[in-house]
Amino acid sequence: MHSDLVISQTDGRPMYLQIMDQIRQRIAVGDWEQGKEIPSIRQLAVTLRVSVITVKRAYMELERDGIIVTQQGKGSIVAPDPELGSKLYDQELAKHIDRVAQLGELLGLTPKEVASRVREATDRLTTDRLTKDRLTKEYS
Amino acid sequence: MNYAMVKRLVLKDWYLQRWAILGSLAGIVATLGIIATGAKIAFLLGLILLIIVIISIGAHMAVATIVTERKEQTLPFVMSLPISYREYTASKIWGNLLIFLVPWVTMVVGSIGMLLWSPSSRGLVPYTAIMSAEILLSTCLILAVALITESQGWAVAAIMVGNIGVNGLGYAFAHIAGIEKGMWGPTIQWSGAASVVLLAEFITVGLLLGITFFVQGRKKDFL
Amino acid sequence: MNDLSVHFEGVSKIYPHFTLDDLSLELPTGTIMGLIGANGAGKSTTIRILMGLVHQDQGLVQVLGREMPREQAAAKLDIGFVSEDMRLYGPATLAWHMSFVQSIYPQWDQAYSEMLLRRFDLKPQQKIKGLSHGQRVKAALLLALARRPRLLVLDEPTTGLDPVARQEVLGELMAVLADEDRTILFSSHNTLDVEQISDQITFIDRGRIIASDNKEMFLERWRRLRLVLSPEGDLPSLPGVVEVGGSERLPVLVTNRFDPAMVSVCNDAGATVQAVDPMTLEEIFVANVHSRREKQTV
Repeated sequence: MHSDLVISQTDGRPMYLQIMDQIRQRIAVGDWEQGKEIPSIRQLAVTLRVSVITVKRAYMELERDGIIVTQQGKGSIVAPDPELGSKLYDQELAKHIDRVAQLGELLGLTPKEVASRVREATDRLTTDRLTKDRLTKEYS
Repeated sequence: MNYAMVKRLVLKDWYLQRWAILGSLAGIVATLGIIATGAKIAFLLGLILLIIVIISIGAHMAVATIVTERKEQTLPFVMSLPISYREYTASKIWGNLLIFLVPWVTMVVGSIGMLLWSPSSRGLVPYTAIMSAEILLSTCLILAVALITESQGWAVAAIMVGNIGVNGLGYAFAHIAGIEKGMWGPTIQWSGAASVVLLAEFITVGLLLGITFFVQGRKKDFL
Repeated sequence: MNDLSVHFEGVSKIYPHFTLDDLSLELPTGTIMGLIGANGAGKSTTIRILMGLVHQDQGLVQVLGREMPREQAAAKLDIGFVSEDMRLYGPATLAWHMSFVQSIYPQWDQAYSEMLLRRFDLKPQQKIKGLSHGQRVKAALLLALARRPRLLVLDEPTTGLDPVARQEVLGELMAVLADEDRTILFSSHNTLDVEQISDQITFIDRGRIIASDNKEMFLERWRRLRLVLSPEGDLPSLPGVVEVGGSERLPVLVTNRFDPAMVSVCNDAGATVQAVDPMTLEEIFVANVHSRREKQTV
């Protein structure tokens, strides 16, 4: 159980977010299995050379999102939840949708315009996939 | 007062000054060698050499162990050890005095011994005692000034005052009626004046060390 | 239950040209506090008062439960101190210093000291006067770290170190914190280091503490807002604005009480928010100092 998280100082995002993202990725990809013990807050802080309070914040938010579970006096584990993978992707989707809404507002778009832009994107995706399928069929 | 710490600090200073200390011991040995040749002039030369050793080691140690702590900026390191000003001051005083006392006691015992040995010059004993105490006093003055001021300038001034004082007072004492009278005779004549002077010297030594401790204790900025 | 490793209350120290004024500080056990301040702001004085090397004129100073300067000898048994103006004995070797310190402190960890020698790339037989500045700093740190003190007090521990040495030192400092009963207080010019490893951050300027909070709070609450004012729009009144820069049509606000709701407040007032920038600790510190100094001269 060693940590291979990497924190970058030039990454514009706050450190606690970087930590959260990397932990989420590890879990989503399957590197860190469900129910598996993860480094304690202090251990991770020492390994990453990042303040304890930052790691603590990351863990607290992850716990709030149901990604990890901290047991009093026993450290933390990856949440033993079979739905975890999809939950993570769901959270990711929610984040991105929030961002889309924000950007829409900054650009001065109406909610309808924002929704139609999203529709365009899903349509594009479907078209791409259908095109790929047809090409695959043609050349197989 | 943490005596274990004082001892460690004293040993530390002696280690760092080991070459000067060994040099002074070599000087003592050389002195004894010269005196052992037996010639009359050898005794005088030996005594002078010994006094030079005493005064130089006293001055050197005071500057090297006290003033340089501040100059070389090692004072924060020493004061970060589990001590207060008490252990620091005590270690400097003990560390310096003990080294000084080796040649000094040699000189006192040697010279008074020689005087008692030869029947014609015993009269010099009181004066010798007074002058020996004078040299001790001068060294304590240098120590006190070095510790209190931690300044090279003041320490050097104290060294000069000490040397001049020893000579000046030496001359003055030799001309005090009570002391002068029996100086050149074959018997020891302890006059009241001699006793007073000797007592005053030792009281002054005590005062100097006491004042040093007191002032060190009042310092609010040890750094 | 978190007890305090360091507790300053109402501490003052008056010098002819400088005054440390009504300083109050709390450092819980098991945390790292970074002290940031300009030269002459009072960082070193504060640290010296903490070590009992300078006696305060007023106020209470408690370190590891002991009153300073009265109980300094006992306190210093558990404190490791390294300051920028501290030197070791030039003519002696590092090995001599190590055995000297070992003879004084029973908690000296020989195995750990040897590991530090390797990690810091120091040769014990070398005389101190032959070491470079960076090596001397690492040597002094080794002497303080190897006896596993409960409190580490460091005045500019990474100043003057090359980047590799800095990372090694930061790594060793964090390793100290693996034990939750040990605490670190350090002062630094290097805001990047402070930002990276500190739990608590204290700003000190001209003898006063101008801010003290946990690091994540600082980074959350300070933002730089870039606005575009419409011709009829007014600068919205936002809480905690300490600095207004930029131009009339393109103002830039620095606030220390950011709330995401501010964005809509601005937009409603006719000031389009172009960007909400987080600020580095250095920028936060400078903004803090400027706004304070401006208030003082007004």
